[in-house]
Amino acid sequence: MKHVVITGGSRGIGAAAVRALLEEGYFVSTCSRAPTEHIRCFETDPALRERFYYQPFDLARIEEYERFLDACVARGGPLYGLVNNAGIAQAGVLATFPLVDCERIVRVNLIGPLALSRAAARHFLRHRRGGRIINISSIIGSRGYTGLSAYSASKAGLDGLTRSLARELGRIGVTVNSIAPGYVRTDMSAALSQEDLQQIVRRTPLGRLGEAADTVALLKFLLSEGAGFITGQVIFVDGGLSC
Amino acid sequence: MSKEEVLLRIQAVLDQVLDAKGIPRVKLSEDVAVMDGTLPIDSLDLAQIVIELQSVTGRDPFRNGFVEFRTVGELARLFAA
Repeated sequence: MKHVVITGGSRGIGAAAVRALLEEGYFVSTCSRAPTEHIRCFETDPALRERFYYQPFDLARIEEYERFLDACVARGGPLYGLVNNAGIAQAGVLATFPLVDCERIVRVNLIGPLALSRAAARHFLRHRRGGRIINISSIIGSRGYTGLSAYSASKAGLDGLTRSLARELGRIGVTVNSIAPGYVRTDMSAALSQEDLQQIVRRTPLGRLGEAADTVALLKFLLSEGAGFITGQVIFVDGGLSC
Repeated sequence: MSKEEVLLRIQAVLDQVLDAKGIPRVKLSEDVAVMDGTLPIDSLDLAQIVIELQSVTGRDPFRNGFVEFRTVGELARLFAA
């Protein structure tokens, strides 16, 4: 059974991904600051709970990531895939945006994935069975958005990690890709005003906001054997907004 | 773990790496340079050796930043007790 670790699986895209991968037959490990109704559901569903592991912790505590991964491997077996999904967003004009919030956003959205990818790379190097790393980025990392400078910088950094680590780990059969969703209807998009969201829908060729399922569909493909020759890519799932 | 034991472990991991690449094994000595092209390994192979040494010795000499080493003997001394 293939084991996938997803950070931030308690809500939004993360929770949708956990459910979809459990239904596909993967063993799924995840973490978040606190459990939600989604987590309680995965832990109690007789069809899913045997293939599910959850550990609560504060994702800003980078030094605990390696221990978290070790605990996941102890429970779910050798690592096949890592999905760096956990992220935070906060809107504000940079000129008055508190530096402490800039640092927190970059820490969770970029330093965290760096630390966890490092831990995963060490695992992949020791076991040499290949694997997958998927970073959940954002269209904002490539296109930018007024009021989201720190968030945008963190996601652009994540895409840089994707490209470099893909080159580094390709030789041992590990693929590394970014999925860059457009504006998805989740708690995260609540940082945008209703007016902004309506404008985004008007500018999107497919005429709607994204859903978590749109991102999860690509995630499932990138984890599959069929995606074994795709690496180092940033793939937009944005209804054509960026085309 | 003594320096001699660390050297044996480096040799064992190097053997695994070269076997996986289908390259003939190389007998190590302390004065062999690690990354000047003498050994048929790249930086990823060296990372695998270092990760293994960190695992078996419980030591991480690079915790606070990179420490220079040139030869296999210098690498072994970083991990020896």
